Amino acid sequence: MRISEHPILSFDRGKKITFLFNGKKISAYENETVASALTAAGINVLSRSIKYNRPRGFFCGIGKCSSCLMTVDGVPNVKTCVTPVKDGMVVESQDGKGNLPENKEFKSKKETLHADVAVVGAGPAGLSAAITASKHGADVLLIDENPVAGGQLIKQTHKFFGSKEHKAGVRGIEIAKLLLNEIENSNVNLLLNAGVIGYYKDNSHMLAVVQNSKLIKVYPKKIIVATGASENMLAFPGNDLPGVVGAGGVQTLMNVYGIRPGNSVLMVGAGNVGLIVSYQLMQAGINVKMVVEALPKIGGYIVHAAKLRRLGVPILTSHTVKNAYGNGRVEGARIVKLENWKETGEGFDVDVDLICLAVGLTPTCEILFQAGCETKYIPELGGWVARHDRNLETSIKGIYVAGDCSGIEEASTAMMEGRIAGMDAAEKLGFKIDEKEKKDAFENLKTLRSGPFGEKPRIGKEKMWGRK
Amino acid sequence: MRGIVSEANNSEAFSEAKMSDVAVIGGGINGCALAYELAKKGVNATVFEKGYLGSGATGRCGGGIRQQFDTEDNIRLVMESVKIFEKMEKELGYDIEYDQGGYLVLAHSDEEKERFKKNVELQRSMGLGVNFLEKEEIKELCPILDVDGAKAVGATFCQTDGHANPFRVTEAYAKNAERLGAEIKTFTEVKGIKKEKRFEIITEKEKMFADVVVNAAGCYSKQIAEMVGVKLPNKPYRHEILATESLKPVLKPMIISFMDGIYFCQHKTGQIVGGIGNPDEPSGINTESSFWFLEKMASTITRYIPSFKNLNVLRQWAGMYDVTPDARPILGKTNVKNFFVVCGFSGHGFMVAPVTAKLMSELIVDGKTSMPIDNLSIERFKKGVIRKEGAVVG
Ligand SMILES: Cc1cc2nc3c(=O)[nH]c(=O)nc-3n(C[C@H](O)[C@H](O)[C@H](O)COP(=O)(O)OP(=O)(O)OC[C@H]3O[C@@H](n4cnc5c(N)ncnc54)[C@H](O)[C@@H]3O)c2cc1C
Ligand SMILES: Cc1cc2nc3c(=O)[nH]c(=O)nc-3n(C[C@H](O)[C@H](O)[C@H](O)COP(=O)(O)OP(=O)(O)OC[C@H]3O[C@@H](n4cnc5c(N)ncnc54)[C@H](O)[C@@H]3O)c2cc1C
Ligand code: FES
Repeated sequence: MRISEHPILSFDRGKKITFLFNGKKISAYENETVASALTAAGINVLSRSIKYNRPRGFFCGIGKCSSCLMTVDGVPNVKTCVTPVKDGMVVESQDGKGNLPENKEFKSKKETLHADVAVVGAGPAGLSAAITASKHGADVLLIDENPVAGGQLIKQTHKFFGSKEHKAGVRGIEIAKLLLNEIENSNVNLLLNAGVIGYYKDNSHMLAVVQNSKLIKVYPKKIIVATGASENMLAFPGNDLPGVVGAGGVQTLMNVYGIRPGNSVLMVGAGNVGLIVSYQLMQAGINVKMVVEALPKIGGYIVHAAKLRRLGVPILTSHTVKNAYGNGRVEGARIVKLENWKETGEGFDVDVDLICLAVGLTPTCEILFQAGCETKYIPELGGWVARHDRNLETSIKGIYVAGDCSGIEEASTAMMEGRIAGMDAAEKLGFKIDEKEKKDAFENLKTLRSGPFGEKPRIGKEKMWGRK
Repeated sequence: MRGIVSEANNSEAFSEAKMSDVAVIGGGINGCALAYELAKKGVNATVFEKGYLGSGATGRCGGGIRQQFDTEDNIRLVMESVKIFEKMEKELGYDIEYDQGGYLVLAHSDEEKERFKKNVELQRSMGLGVNFLEKEEIKELCPILDVDGAKAVGATFCQTDGHANPFRVTEAYAKNAERLGAEIKTFTEVKGIKKEKRFEIITEKEKMFADVVVNAAGCYSKQIAEMVGVKLPNKPYRHEILATESLKPVLKPMIISFMDGIYFCQHKTGQIVGGIGNPDEPSGINTESSFWFLEKMASTITRYIPSFKNLNVLRQWAGMYDVTPDARPILGKTNVKNFFVVCGFSGHGFMVAPVTAKLMSELIVDGKTSMPIDNLSIERFKKGVIRKEGAVVG
């Protein structure tokens, strides 16, 4: 189920390899992750849940939900969606809790690194922050737990909106390439496959980072947290069946790894993410049966909706999914009609093998909360966020936020926030910055938030800054 | 005698303010268990808790239940407690995740070995089923433990020791106390106590009168005692702990070493839960997590069980030990009439709570206890000569 032809993308899969899944030989490519290779081989059940032994599949595809835990080379609880597959690897589906390997060699290493600025997360916000701080002379360490940098941006094949200077008309993947190129040509030290597992106070700020079997202590003067967001789950019976996946997860499979996650899809949510991913699914040759949206109106841009309609995909507003059914994996869903958020009694079944959830995101703030940053609940920003000032600095001096983890928005604002945070951190470290550049960044951010779709975050940020 | 309580109830003052027989300050395991035991005796208690139930040391503790101590008081208290734990699921109608997988106490030197042998003698004389194990026997009992890596030369083992889930036990007590008429006020901080004819309990929300006040405020018990002019010698110390991902059952007994200051077990959920003491920890209230702990714990526990190197830590957190000069609790009356203390539990206040609650309810309601607790009264510190409990970590 690999995509062989795509109107926009070509896939660099690397060398062909084989690995063992529950004793069976499976072929894959070296640039795939374990979970994506298994999906390509038509395997949907990755493990079974701890308590009720229910089948579990892939959900977020970006290492945030733990739905893809498997035993890899004897080691239990491995997040297979961010683990590169290797020739000869032994992968086993985990039946509930894991077992430990008995006589496995494990050599751990330790390292200590210092930096002016440590940026956590290499999505558009983190990349921009790192580039900006480095450009002004700061010594920057950029850390991401994925095997590839770019965050959510590396799978966005559609063209961006907005004005020219915000890279309108350019596809997300192209913007990602530009940013990654800049990183390559900069002095930024990029650590991939490296997860930040905690923030500590050890005289100064300290981040604990785990990269494979290495523990790295990072002592930065400033920290910019750009960890993005995680996709929301929706509560309905059957929501844990393999085949219920996040829209971002599906996008990763299709656009990063060139893998078809299913054959016919129900998309839940008609915001921009739902609409865009539906269109991309059609581009990848996958049948989108319909988009359902609980609100009485479509939330995303009309252009995106129109593209889908032209392809004959119905978008049903005031409809939602009541339950998913299937034997061990999704075989269909019950759709019901709503009026004032209540069921009308009308409903029907739809046969699909994939239910894609695009029902919002929640900021990934664990590191900030652990560090003790003041928090505030702002629904317009996606829930609990770390309170921050206009320069993106939190209540703890020297700890910044940028991008989706400062409040759910979009890639263009994420880049702008990254730039501001990077500049402010550099300035406070004593590097000279161009006042005009900073002013421009603020202006840009304002413009980006001025349209009707910028209203929500605009209100959210104002709530935080204490204006009405 | 329904003594203190009924006597004081007869006076008619303070009619418009709310009344309670007993005000219990602190909604940890000790406060909640006491409210239950009092309710069983028909006495109304009101529990004041400034956070949620178990937000103090209780919800942060390891849940270990060990009878293998080296002072008689502690041994007896936990032995009595175990009898209650064994029947608790039935009595309170709750699954408390109780597991009597035993407790393995490791000895690392000949000196320790000799001391442990003496402990075993004492413990056995008190009726505890405990044995001394030689190195080979440890391997047999707990094959996953690398006895050489742990540098153990012997151990004591008691099968009836074990662990339970502190949140569940606290909730079980609280819910049953409420069912029997106790009132539990969470997110209600006691700001002051005035002692006149009765005690006036001052909170932000309201005033309340009580005939009896019990100080079960964990590491804040010193401050609470000061509100009525009682001085306690207690000091707060941070203690850190972590939990790993769940595993299929691999570790039956709980393991402790006083030399390394480490203890750990596998909970029924499959998680490995354990902590390690920091001998250089300064006194003070601090619930921040340190990297020192994470590194120290990881390097020590993987010396004991090398395959744990392949295990991820899910979370780490810290809680406060409320420590007395002899590492034994302070129970009973104070020089302020009807002001009682239940505090100073160091690292073992969870395991003794069921029995201390029973004894304190007897003391408050009947004026006497079914087991002597004089040795644990606050008066002991005035006498100067105290015997320190040796079988503790941290
Ligand atoms: C399906 C989908 C479609 C979208 N479409 C558009 C669109 O068309 N236009 C638009 O402007 N926006 C779009 N967005 C939104 C946009 O992608 C995000 O706003 C943007 O990517 C946010 O950037 P970020 O850098 O804050 O976070 P992310 O891009 O999410 O990057 C965060 C990075 O942090 C890493 N990370 C997290 N925690 C840790 C840790 N502890 N240690 C190390 N690394 C960590 C993650 O691995 C990740 O790489 C879309 C989002 C989704 C999900
Ligand atoms: C990391 C760690 C591991 C431990 N492991 C074990 C173990 O394995 N086995 C064991 O037996 N023991 C263990 N202990 C010790 C055990 O947790 C404590 O001794 C026990 O929980 C004490 O219970 P408590 O109810 O007396 O106090 P706490 O649980 O501390 O409860 C006191 C309560 O009083 C409240 N309070 C304080 N001031 C006020 C106020 N002014 N107004 C209202 N409320 C107030 C607090 O919020 C708190 O909830 C451990 C402790 C720690 C920190
Ligand atoms: S963590 Fe792998 S699918 Fe979410």
